[in-house]
Amino acid sequence: MTMRSTIVAEIEAITRDHDKTMPPLTDDMVLMDTEFDSLCFALLVARMEDHLGVDPFGTMEVADLPVTLGDLVALYDRAAVANAA
Amino acid sequence: MSEPRTVIVTGASRGIGLAIASTLAAEGFRVVAVARRSSEAFEAAATAAPAGSMHFMACDLGRTDALQPLVRSVRVEHGPIYGLVNNAAIGTPGLLATMPDHAVSDLVHLNTLAPMLLTKYVVRGMMASGSGRIVNVSSIIAFTGYNALSVYAATKASMIGFTRSLSREVGRLGVTVNAVAPGFIETALTEGMDESERERIAKRSALRRLADPDDVANAVAYLVSDKARNVTGTVLTVDAGSTA
Repeated sequence: MTMRSTIVAEIEAITRDHDKTMPPLTDDMVLMDTEFDSLCFALLVARMEDHLGVDPFGTMEVADLPVTLGDLVALYDRAAVANAA
Repeated sequence: MSEPRTVIVTGASRGIGLAIASTLAAEGFRVVAVARRSSEAFEAAATAAPAGSMHFMACDLGRTDALQPLVRSVRVEHGPIYGLVNNAAIGTPGLLATMPDHAVSDLVHLNTLAPMLLTKYVVRGMMASGSGRIVNVSSIIAFTGYNALSVYAATKASMIGFTRSLSREVGRLGVTVNAVAPGFIETALTEGMDESERERIAKRSALRRLADPDDVANAVAYLVSDKARNVTGTVLTVDAGSTA
């Protein structure tokens, strides 16, 4: 699975479990404009840490927070590369 | 038979932490005791406990960069973490006006910051699995006050605020968060107190005695158990009625 498909699968699972309705999961989807709330986001971070063993949010500045789904995928791609190095 | 559920107990090499670890092991949990180093008392308790129920993992909790790797190691070696008991703490006394800055900082670092960060890393797995128990060991000093323990009191009060708000954050994911507030308990931490002071406290308590580590351990075991499934965001005082 690619990073994008892993993240999309987790978002779909979390929103399904929590009865959230999401727009199409495109790269330019703005996360804050959806029903994917802070608790959903915390769950996503927990599950991604299980998959990748990394948590890119541990040392981030608020200004770096991902805005779109594409930003989020890129953030995890960079974290996975940094972790493997 | 189902696999025993794993519970981390910090500061479990002695005193209240060791009593909590032994009690949870006897109740059928797999306990991972965390402290800087093991102790003869812990080794003896682990030998007496049901086989494979008490494990030790060395970690200096003050090294906050070690907490995430610690949680990963526990999960790899012992499976998903069902419970966390934040018990490790230091009780450095001192008048605030003359307390060295580093002593103030160390108290806040170990008693407040470390349990918060450890909880952050542990609670993620609980949230993902939809169940879990967190118990924070506070103190009656958090709400009564005691001369020369202002910083310690502040750290213990912080655990209560942390407990209440975190219970709201994670409640709908099936995770409970509670605190216990022991009174003066006969442990190494209170050895510095002189005998007359101990007698005075015992005499003032409703039950005319001090609670002991097993009393606190039983309260924690209840909060970790399935029986406490509808108890969250609360503080259970165990002080033989000294604040009654």
